[in-house]
Parts: sequence; C-alpha cells; structure tokens
Amino acid sequence: MKIADKTRFFIILLISGWFILFGVTPLLLLVMTSFLTMDPADLVQFSFTLKAYSQLFIEPGYIIIFIRSVKLALATTLLCLGFGYPFAWYTARMPPKWRTSVLILLMIPFWTNSLVRTYAMRMVLGTHGILNKSLLSLGLINTPLKIMYTDYAVLAGLFYLMLPFMVLPLYATIEKLNFQLIEAARDLGAGAVSAFTKIIFPLTLPGIMAGCIMVFVPTMGLFYVASLLGGARQLLVGNLIQQQFLNARNWPLGSATSIVLIIFMALMLIGYGLLLHRFSRERK
Amino acid sequence: MKPLFKSLIILTVVVVAAIQALAAEKIYVYNWTEYLPESVLAQFTEKTGIEVVYTTYDSNETMYAKLKLIKKDGYDVAVPSTYFVSKMGREGMLMTLDHTRLPNMKHLDPDILNKDYDPDNNYSIPYMWGSTGIAVNTDEIPQEQITSWKDLWKPEFKGKLLLQDDLREVFHMALRIKGFSGNTTNPGEIEQAYLLLKDLMPNVLLFNSDSPRLPFLAGEVGIGMIWNGEAWMAQKENPAIRYVYPKEGASFWVDSFVIPQGARNPKGAHAFINFMMNPDVAKACVEEYGYPTPVKPAIALLDSNISSNRTIFPDAKVIQQGEFQNDVGPAIEIYQKYWEKLRTGN
Repeated sequence: MKIADKTRFFIILLISGWFILFGVTPLLLLVMTSFLTMDPADLVQFSFTLKAYSQLFIEPGYIIIFIRSVKLALATTLLCLGFGYPFAWYTARMPPKWRTSVLILLMIPFWTNSLVRTYAMRMVLGTHGILNKSLLSLGLINTPLKIMYTDYAVLAGLFYLMLPFMVLPLYATIEKLNFQLIEAARDLGAGAVSAFTKIIFPLTLPGIMAGCIMVFVPTMGLFYVASLLGGARQLLVGNLIQQQFLNARNWPLGSATSIVLIIFMALMLIGYGLLLHRFSRERK
Repeated sequence: MKPLFKSLIILTVVVVAAIQALAAEKIYVYNWTEYLPESVLAQFTEKTGIEVVYTTYDSNETMYAKLKLIKKDGYDVAVPSTYFVSKMGREGMLMTLDHTRLPNMKHLDPDILNKDYDPDNNYSIPYMWGSTGIAVNTDEIPQEQITSWKDLWKPEFKGKLLLQDDLREVFHMALRIKGFSGNTTNPGEIEQAYLLLKDLMPNVLLFNSDSPRLPFLAGEVGIGMIWNGEAWMAQKENPAIRYVYPKEGASFWVDSFVIPQGARNPKGAHAFINFMMNPDVAKACVEEYGYPTPVKPAIALLDSNISSNRTIFPDAKVIQQGEFQNDVGPAIEIYQKYWEKLRTGN
C-alpha cells in the first residue's frame, strides 16, 4: 500500500470504529433492552416480551405525553420561525461588517452551557424576576405574572435555546438569494406580498425546512428545560425517558420510548429529504 | 538526548501524580441535597486524612437506581430513608456494619434504634430524622386557614401547590385523610388514596425535592409540602413562611447511613459514620439544616432557641399524632405503580 492509501485506510477505520462503538452498539443495546422484561430487583430479565411497546401504545398516559410533546415542539418551531425569519432577513440585508457582528452576537450565548442558560431563564421569568420587575416598574402590570412552572415558561426557554438553529440555516439561504429576481418581479408589477409568496418564499424554502427540522427534532428530547422551567406535568418525551431510566427503573419502557422517538424523527427526516428532492426537481 | 530527557520528565510527572492519587485515602459519600455541612466534611478530612468525594441526589429512587447499577468500586456511604434501608437490605445491596468500629453509637437515642426496618441496626445508623408538613407563606394565605392536609385540596389553590417528589410522603397525606395508616400495605387502601390524589393533581404546580424552600422564597408558591428543616431555613430568610403540623398527622422519617455492597473503602466509611455521631458534629448539622438529630448529647449543646424550636423539635403530642415511615415490603411496587400514573397524568 502507498502511504496515501494507508492514511486513507486508517482514517476510514477510525471513523467506522467510532461509529460502531458509539453509534451502532448503543442503538443495538437500546433495541435489545426494549424487548426485555422489567425486573424490580435486577433491572431486566433476559426474556423476550413486547410488553414495553404494548404499554406505550395501550396505556393512554404515554400517548398523551407524546402528543403534548409534539405540540410543544411545533409551537417552539413556529415561534422560532416567526421571529427567526425577519431576523435572518434583515441580518442578511445588512452591510457585511454589521452582518458578522450580529451573527457573532447570536453565537455568543453558545459559549455558555445550555443548562446554565436555562437556570438564567428562571431568574428572568420568576415572580420576583427581571421580567416582572421591569413590567411592574413600567406600570404595565400591577401584580407579578406567574410564569414559572407553567407551559409558557417551558416554551420561552425552548424558544430561547433553539432560535439560533432556525436563524442560521435561514440566513444561509437568504444571503445566497439573487435579489435581482425580486427587483425583476417588482418591475414586472408584483406587489410586496406576491414578490414574497412567488419569489422569496419558494427560494428560501429549503432554509425554512432545514431550520424547522433543526428546531423540531431536538426539542422533543430537551428534558432538562422542561424539568427546570416546567411544573408538575410531564411535558416532553425526553422527560418520560429520563423518568423511566432514573426513577421508575423500567428500562424496557424507557428504551421502547426512545426507539419510538427515533423512528418518529427518522420518518420526519426522510419526509424532509423527499420534499427537498422533489423541490430541486421542480426547479429544473 | 533531548527527546529522552523530555520523556523522562513526563514519566516522572505521571508517576508522581499516580502516587499522589493512590496515597490520598478517599471515601465516596452519596447524600441528599443540602443535608451535610461542608465544614463538617473538611473537619473529617483534617482529622483522619481521608478525602471525601461528595455527591448528591434528590430522591430515594434516584439513589437506588444508581447504586443498583454499580456492582463494585462504587459509593462508600449512602443515606436512604427507612423503607429503602429495608428494601436494599433485602436485595443484598448493603454491607453488614461492624459495630465495634462505631463506638460513638453509644450517643444515639435508643428510641430510634432497633426498628422493624433494620433490626439491631445491622445495616444502618440513623443520621437525621424529621417531619413532612405544610409550609404556608402568611403574606399570601392566613395561617389559621391551614390546619390539615385536606386544606391542600381546596379549589382556590388550583395550580398553586408544591408537593414533595417522594411517593411515600405524598401518599401519606391521602392515606391519613382517609383515616388509614401511612404505612398501609392494603392494596384497596392505597387505591383509595390514589383516587384522592388524582383530584389533587390540578392543584399541583410542581414537584420538588432538592430544596422545596427555594420556590417559596422566590415567591413562586405560597403553600405546599415541606420538610421541617427546609421550613426552618426558609423562615430564617423570610419570617412570613410558617410550618404547620397537619391535624391528620405529619409524616415522620429517618434517614440513615449505610455502606453499599461494593464500597471501595469500607474502613473509611465506618470511620466517617462514627465521626458523624460525634456530639459536636451532630450539633453543627442541626444548626445548619434544622433537622432533629438522634445524637442525644448534641441536643444539650444546642442554643436554647434552637432546641426549643417546635419546627425543628416537635413536641410529644405532635409526634404521637403523626406517624413514622416504615417499611411496606413488596407493597412498595403498588405505590410505585400508582405514583407513576399520577406523574404521567392518567
């Protein structure tokens, strides 16, 4: 073998070794555990059963959590999109030196651990928190708003954490947009609305979809946001999984929940891939 | 010669670091959040030269789940509640204690030793005990309106309650309202309690067991379950927060030191447990967290406004009204099943 070949072989070996060790093996273990029997004393018994899956789909509580989770993730995604699109648009239209600073400002919070930032949200949203104090001193409210431990607090926390994941892909597509097309549309008599719906929106659609996927998919697993900001109700599938592994010690059920979540997300990604494929064909 | 010299230096550094790591004797202590003053740990290290690696948990279940996974080289000391001592003992998770290495046991109140959950204290040494009652912020809710567990069910507290994240304590409330024992193993009675608790769920804003006082101090909740020590600490910061012993009876509990099977340093663990029974050490723990200690001579050392504080040391009548948590044996699985139903919301 030549040296270049050797290097290539070594790198491929390294990557696939990594992937097998930290990707495939844990996944197989998870699949295996989900078919085992729960044992209160020894965690699991090595006998095959579908009980975990039947529990997940038959007992109503789990489906409720799943639906709640999807709703919350959808709300987060829409909120991020509604706020992130104009944000990305105006950033992309700024003079280049401004653009960089805005993007850096967007990225700076990433230097801090997201758990720490979630704790910081508690100080903002609390009864005696920054938000309430500001609103009270402005005279907009008379009694502090009780936001902490409600679904709104969780939504606020998720929105804050996930916004950059929406803005960055949007920014990337908007920045590459050929703005002459918009000028041409306006010259040919299109109003602002139809220029947006006919030109801008379709051209930035890949960015919108990428952003939505990047926000929606991880949101369902961010259990610590829901457990720090949310209250008694279990909100996210992530919390259910954590609870099964750490407190209820029902590993088969926890694994089955993870598998269902993985399949759900995989289907979404496949759907996204198909849409993108169709979209690029249409453009040709 | 230069690379050789470099590698020699590196080798020396590695060896020295390894020797140091081996030389310092360590114990791994796993305890509830905010339950042991750091100064006491420092004092222990100073006295014995044993370093303490200290980690915390917020529920018996979490502690149990973690210990269950570790077969060897695990924690040296943990602090389960009574019914977990017996459960873990039954499952072979605990080491038998060597009482000859625990001479300070002579300081312990005999009333709290040799109980059903651990006859002859083979596995456990009580660390602190206490009660679970109701905390009220009297700025929001007049104290005289709250006298019983039942008051938590009032419709005006919708979405306002704090409950402990502890199934036995939550079930205790409902069982006592129904007139049953908080230690019942009767599935019918547990089910009735579950149905009652289901009605309570709309009132619950959050479950918290790390530091139930913090949501009170932050103004997020005005009423809820709390441990007496947490209530006492809260009161020091905000005098409006009061502790109520409910008339159906508070829940009393004991948390005990145990040495899990698979501890790395059982000798060090014994030394630690023995050290914790020193009267002045026990005194420091009461002063910091406001829970009663089983170390009798420590109580005499306390300042009178602490030893006469009813939030910390309940009088005999209150104890009589209440009930000490006891082992419920395999019935714990029934509790767990209903608890999970409550928590997942069906």
